[in-house]
Amino acid sequence: MTVRKLGLALGLAAAAGLGAGAAQAEPLKIGIIESLSGSQTSTGRLFATAAEYVVDQINADGGFNGEPIEVIEYDNAGGTTGAADKFKQAVADGVHIVLQGASSAIAGQVTEDVRKHNIRNPGNELMYINLGAEALALTGEKCHFYQFRFTTTAPMRVNAMVDAMKEAGDLGTKVYSINQNYSWGRDMEDAIKAAADRGDYEVVDTVLHEVNKIQDFSPFVAKIKDAGPDTVMTGNWSNDLLLLMKAAGDAGLDVRFGTTFLDQVGNIANAGDTALGHYVAHPYNIAADDSDFAENYKAATGHYPVYIEPQTVNAIRTLGEALKTVDFGGGDVSVTEIAKAMENASIETPLGPITVRKDDHQAVLPVVVSKVVKDPKYPVDGTDLGFGVVKVVPGEDAIYEAQESCEMDRPS
Amino acid sequence: MEFLIVSTLNGVIYGLLLFMVSSGLTLIFGMMGVLNFAHASFYMVGAYIAYTITALVDFWVGLLVAPILVGLLGVLVERYLLRRVHEHGHAHELLLTFGLAFIFEELVKLFYGDFPVNYAMPDYLRFPAFTVFGTDYPFYRIFIGLVAVAMFVALYLLLSRTRAGLVVRAAERLPSMAEALGHNVPLVFMGVFGTGAAFAGLGGAVAGAFFPTNPNMALELGVIVFVVVVVGGLGSLEGSLIASLMIGLFSSFAVGLDWSLAGLFSLVGLGEWARALGGVFTLTLSSISGTIPFLLMLIVLLVRPAGLMGERN
Repeated sequence: MTVRKLGLALGLAAAAGLGAGAAQAEPLKIGIIESLSGSQTSTGRLFATAAEYVVDQINADGGFNGEPIEVIEYDNAGGTTGAADKFKQAVADGVHIVLQGASSAIAGQVTEDVRKHNIRNPGNELMYINLGAEALALTGEKCHFYQFRFTTTAPMRVNAMVDAMKEAGDLGTKVYSINQNYSWGRDMEDAIKAAADRGDYEVVDTVLHEVNKIQDFSPFVAKIKDAGPDTVMTGNWSNDLLLLMKAAGDAGLDVRFGTTFLDQVGNIANAGDTALGHYVAHPYNIAADDSDFAENYKAATGHYPVYIEPQTVNAIRTLGEALKTVDFGGGDVSVTEIAKAMENASIETPLGPITVRKDDHQAVLPVVVSKVVKDPKYPVDGTDLGFGVVKVVPGEDAIYEAQESCEMDRPS
Repeated sequence: MEFLIVSTLNGVIYGLLLFMVSSGLTLIFGMMGVLNFAHASFYMVGAYIAYTITALVDFWVGLLVAPILVGLLGVLVERYLLRRVHEHGHAHELLLTFGLAFIFEELVKLFYGDFPVNYAMPDYLRFPAFTVFGTDYPFYRIFIGLVAVAMFVALYLLLSRTRAGLVVRAAERLPSMAEALGHNVPLVFMGVFGTGAAFAGLGGAVAGAFFPTNPNMALELGVIVFVVVVVGGLGSLEGSLIASLMIGLFSSFAVGLDWSLAGLFSLVGLGEWARALGGVFTLTLSSISGTIPFLLMLIVLLVRPAGLMGERN
């Protein structure tokens, strides 16, 4: 929350207090525990910006429970220990809903903290909305009633990508899988192997490498060349994706990349023409959205919604819909009631509806497959390149079966 | 054969890049005894300055100006920060430079944003130098290697063959004696620190056009650069060259080798058993290639604590 907004909130609170001893409504407090410093700032800041954009709109429409919704930012400094510390602080500050998204490792910490807190404090629960952490375990063995995930997972992205690339005739018959050696990369590798029949291809080789430790990907490119694939599929993000693509481009390797995070800000600027023709499967592409969302967002924040911003906006909009169906009459906020309302909430987006699956609280949302093209509707990173829509896969087709490992205790 | 040649090429060039960044650190430590944690930050600042100048004027002007400006920055850091804490010993110097690294990172984010910037080599440098076994070998990688070799030769000659080098070495060994002989020791130190920073700046300007230039680049390379200096022997220029090349080659070869403990066990007929156990037994060498430098550092520290070419072995 900015100082100005804090001042406004305090001012409003003071004004309400002066109102001849009127009963004080409990404002809904949202805590964003995100990487606002350190190496993941570029992503963490986007989550916060997009979430606050929607909360500002809800507040402009009258807020919730007779009060404006308060947003408090907590910097987890990019680590799980930081997140655990800031979670305690958020609890002390009386936060009801926690938002986070920039790392599956941190998400694992936050969701466990929330679960334990709720066991120890019945009647005083917290809710966690996962905006971007995609590890399957979060809606598998780690799932619980107070956690909701509003982004895709590896099978959703890979299945959509395979379908779209096959339809476009760009998939080929040999696929190489290179991924980062942690939960996300392993999920991706499993999904790429599992989709082989669907896409009618053979996985020629798979490689897992360390996250953000490799400066020189040319040895990996030599290995890819040996295997002779038509398409390289990777869940790599940030430097690991850029370095891989650049090394492949410099070596003159004639392969198509199927990626999941190519739309991260700065990637296209850095990869340049090397990125042309490569694919990305992502939860949203504003080029497929003919509403005025993109312009409104730009007017409020100064830039078009990019990367993980649209999915964050959709997550908080869904929360807003859920809030419309509960009424605490200006009294105490019950997080359990909000969580129950979330299960039934849905929104319409120009790309299709978004709903929440009750079994594991995974959002059922459309997946867009895009391709880097010249002179698109929305150029990115100050280049003449951007993401052209190849296929929009509706939520019900993109979703995978709920994992059996999810055993959810529901409040009565 | 193809694997051997391609891996060697890749490894040598990556090693030379590592040397380019770590040479300045080695120089500063060898001559001043200061372990500069902010060294990789100078590398980052060099890349950002070169990016700015390339956008305004020209790529080559950027390569020329970036080391000069970063060198000046180094001089300022030495004169107004490091010198003040020098008398309190190494711990203070270390903490100061450690803090500086974070400040540089946040400052870069403040001016250039959180995202990678579009710093790229000019198009006329973007061509394959030659083709090995059907793979283009980018000219720019060779260019990076050449700059690193030139840096090594220049530094080596400067320190071992010139009067300036003699004074610098004297100032490090016996500062009071050098001072008594009429040499301005603080000025010498300032010069050494500035030169070390300038070398990092040049490294950033050259490598930043090939690798992504982003606010995390110092963090990413910072650790590995320390490994180079430790493996090579603190302060030894030759040592850090050897260590850089070793790390480059080891990482490069490791990627191509799908060796695992299970493979080792299968030599004695226990392969199936080891594979069934999974975990560490099926971990392939390629999936831990980024850890090889640290493994190398551990071994070197155990066997030769002062590093390969360190003086106190």
